[in-house]
Amino acid sequence: MPPVLLFYRLMVRPLLREPVRAGLTVLAVALGVAVVLAIELAGVAATGSFHSSMEALAGENDLEITAAGGVPEAVVGTLAALPYSMRISPRIEDYAVLADTKQSFPLIGLDLVSEGGAYAERDTGSGGTLSSVETPKDSLEFLEDHESIWVGSSLGHKTGDRVRLLINDRVREYIVRGVYPDSNGDESAIVMDIAAAQQALTRYGRVDRILLKVPEEPGLGEWQLRISAALPAGVEVRPQGTGTNENRRMLAAFRWNLRLLSYISLVVGAFLIYNTISVSVVRRRPEIGIVRALGASRRVILGAFVGEAACFGVAGALIGLPLGRLMATGAVKLMASTVESLYVSSRPGAIELNAASVLLALAIGIGVAVASAYSPAREASLVSPVEAMARGRREYDASVRKVRDLWLALALGLAAAAASRAPAIAGKPLFGYLATILLVMASALAIPAFVSAVTTLTAKLLVKFFGVEAMLASRSLAASLRRTSVLVGALSTAIAMMTAVGIMVGSFRQSVVLWMSNELPADLYLRPAGSAAADRHPTISLGLAEDLAKIPGVVAVERLRAYEIRYQGMPATLASADLDVQDLIRWYPQSEFLSGRRQQQVFPELRRSNTVVVSEPFTYKHHVKAGDTITLSLGETQASFLIADVYYDYSSERGSILMDRQTMLRYLPDAAPSNLAIYVSPQARLETVRAEIEKAAAGHRVLLFSNRELRSEAIRIFDRTFAITYALEAVAAAVAVMGIAGALLALVMDRRRELSLLRFLGAATGQIRKMILVEAGLLGLLANLAGLALGFALSLILVYVINKQSFGWTIRFHWPVEILVTALTLVYAATVLAGLYPAQLAVRLNPLEAVHEE
Amino acid sequence: MPILSLQDVLKDYQTDGQRVQAVQGLSLNVERGELVALVGRSGCGKSTLLNLAGAMDFPTSGSVLLDGVSTSALKDAELTRLRREKVGFIFQSFQLLHTLTVFENVELPLLLAGKTNVREAARERLAWVELEGLGERFPHQLSGGQMQRAAIARALIHSPIILLADEPTGNLDTTTGNVILELLLRLTREKKTATVVATHSMEAAALADTVVRLRDGRIEEITRR
Repeated sequence: MPPVLLFYRLMVRPLLREPVRAGLTVLAVALGVAVVLAIELAGVAATGSFHSSMEALAGENDLEITAAGGVPEAVVGTLAALPYSMRISPRIEDYAVLADTKQSFPLIGLDLVSEGGAYAERDTGSGGTLSSVETPKDSLEFLEDHESIWVGSSLGHKTGDRVRLLINDRVREYIVRGVYPDSNGDESAIVMDIAAAQQALTRYGRVDRILLKVPEEPGLGEWQLRISAALPAGVEVRPQGTGTNENRRMLAAFRWNLRLLSYISLVVGAFLIYNTISVSVVRRRPEIGIVRALGASRRVILGAFVGEAACFGVAGALIGLPLGRLMATGAVKLMASTVESLYVSSRPGAIELNAASVLLALAIGIGVAVASAYSPAREASLVSPVEAMARGRREYDASVRKVRDLWLALALGLAAAAASRAPAIAGKPLFGYLATILLVMASALAIPAFVSAVTTLTAKLLVKFFGVEAMLASRSLAASLRRTSVLVGALSTAIAMMTAVGIMVGSFRQSVVLWMSNELPADLYLRPAGSAAADRHPTISLGLAEDLAKIPGVVAVERLRAYEIRYQGMPATLASADLDVQDLIRWYPQSEFLSGRRQQQVFPELRRSNTVVVSEPFTYKHHVKAGDTITLSLGETQASFLIADVYYDYSSERGSILMDRQTMLRYLPDAAPSNLAIYVSPQARLETVRAEIEKAAAGHRVLLFSNRELRSEAIRIFDRTFAITYALEAVAAAVAVMGIAGALLALVMDRRRELSLLRFLGAATGQIRKMILVEAGLLGLLANLAGLALGFALSLILVYVINKQSFGWTIRFHWPVEILVTALTLVYAATVLAGLYPAQLAVRLNPLEAVHEE
Repeated sequence: MPILSLQDVLKDYQTDGQRVQAVQGLSLNVERGELVALVGRSGCGKSTLLNLAGAMDFPTSGSVLLDGVSTSALKDAELTRLRREKVGFIFQSFQLLHTLTVFENVELPLLLAGKTNVREAARERLAWVELEGLGERFPHQLSGGQMQRAAIARALIHSPIILLADEPTGNLDTTTGNVILELLLRLTREKKTATVVATHSMEAAALADTVVRLRDGRIEEITRR
């Protein structure tokens, strides 16, 4: 008989007779596959295929010239004077917001005189060029008009449309002079002449980047050297797209952490497959014996059960594929908003489900299923025919070596502790990850001893409070120790993840709240309208700060300015604080530095000097500390700065450098601030002052926040960034609860003789139901206890190792009791509810069929 | 009044679309203190009769009166109460719960009935079946005969008026089986229960007060001693 037919009859068909249980197992695998696939697809779309719109429109150039605060225009002339045949493309690059739709788009200023013709005739592959009715040459007549713009087709405008754009804090009206085809919005932007862009952004005398196309010989490295020699000290030349690669690297840690979270669902699924196959082996011991007696080899038995697991894996992967694709749509939105909030402006790429993704899903589904099933399958292959066919030994449970496993668990726990103390490798907390894996393994090994101890200790209490049904339930769980341990292991892993991440996020949140109480001392904050991002710092028109400072009740207006720079190949933020107003606001809350010194002790060292303070992530990324010197390329110069101290900064994962405003203006003379911090006199009414400020700021598109509003907004953004982790936790918990439901179904079927006997002995249907529900409740309780303990241990690694080594933040440990209690209660309730259907099934069993021998 | 009275009982089942008559036209009375042996080949209806007698199943037609009460007229809760108070079951493969000690197995029917402080009753029943001192052991630590005695003690814990035993010696050697049968007879006499034993054993038939021979679901012969 062909092996496939035999396999179907002996292994697959019995599964089909229990469609609910088999379905739950397949669904559990499918969810695990879907989550991993979703995170992978979304990660590629949101970060991995990170492709700044700026780069999309950069065309094919070889090198780029950049400088903090912008490249002086004169550099263009310097380059043009070089005796090389290069194409030189200066650019202004920023963002503008469509005032009507509030959508944000890249704003690109080009030298349209030299580039406009080439841009207008751009071949997008579809054979199209500018779709305007005007010829490219016609478009160029509007170059003198600073109200002219050209837009990508996906903006939905046509030539002649009037468009209101919010740039920095001003709304201006522009006229669309041409529309260019963009591919699916990836290259969508607003293009204007470089002079118009400089005017709109008040970026006179500077450009953001100069792109160079150089001849192929003598090689890019040599060209870099030649050009660098001609540039001022603070101006850098590097291969084009370097910024994108740097951002991509920075986002790698973020992606890795999400990946690991997604693997938790797979781990839970692995537990469940292990349990399913173990149950299958136990039930089929007589069949195994028969088949062995009929001539099947051990390898055939092993293959049969591994094949059964592979069936679950294949079915789970096939369902997980479309499910994962669907989940990726939601995941990419969550991830993209986190990337934008914490890292860099980006537009997510398309989600691509390709052959590699399909292979990944199949590999994960089948791989995890087969790996999980190997141990019980091997056990099945070792069953001898005589043993399996022995009558009277109906109940068999594999022996569990509790003590041995407990020692192993201890050893793994110690190894985890050792690994957690190891440093990061190439900025990645690899030993931290290893420590978490070791802890999960240790927990799995310790659970049998834990279950045994808890059921023994609680036996009397259970009978006292819940009656004989609880005793029967407890004894049953203890007697099937391996099966119980696997179930508890699965659910507790999910609970541990929820607990650990919950504690980490709660601690982080609390740290942020405490930090804000000192770091945001002003009464009001004002910034330009338009979407904020980690790397976007639109500015406020000059003069507004001075106007606001004259309003009665305003004690001081602190002007803050930030620039995006590069330091040692990584993005960083250079910011300035208005130290001249410090004396006016000295009674406000003062921030604390890592050294323990307060603001009033440190800031005087910064005033008008080349002394700075840096953020904690900065010190971690660049291995510097207070007392070290750093060299920054600012404008046309390079200058050295002494680090006076280090401050806590949870606003972004990018490293930050803070200097006195007057020092910054020496190197970067653009005086327009990014933000204003407004201090109101305690004697004045805040609402009155606020109204006056709003009046004074009319005509500027700015947002005004009270201190409380800003903190709420910050916390809202914080909570939003962790939305995806909450979603992953929920999936893992759902997988575990489904597994519990499936396992309870199996338990009911395997114990129908016992359940039927109870009916003969006088048990009412309600008592049978109660027994199953108490079992579900006990499983939930055991899992909660084990999960809490493991979760606490994992949270320590998350807070003090992984988070620290990935991002550089110091987080103060905090128990988010309310959130934990709510989450754990919900999971517990779901576990008990998962017992409802199996309980109903138990009640509906026909006792006569199960008990009598005839 | 007989403890158990079956009057013209017919029981058929539907199996895969086929109708199977398990028993037909069956009438039987069992008195207090009487040991009745049901004998016959496999499939003759012995277990079906026991299930009907114990109110675990109901006749398609006819009536089953247990202590004067028709079982067909009772709802599930009343049937449960009936089983708890009046019926004791003994099985061929003992059917002890391996996760409970002997004491706990014997106490189980009373615990299910919501009774407390039942250890003394269990101790007493174990004494009846000569298993004193083995209460703390688990079933796998007992011999076959000891397990069956424990099962008998369990069946007697609530002082039932009728004991229903399905092949109680089927898994025991001859000597041990005889001991169990003697025990059942003694208890029937001493405790004035009615005992119905489905058996292939000629020794059981020899000990019984009444032997009911079944064939194809019908009573072929009733022999009273």
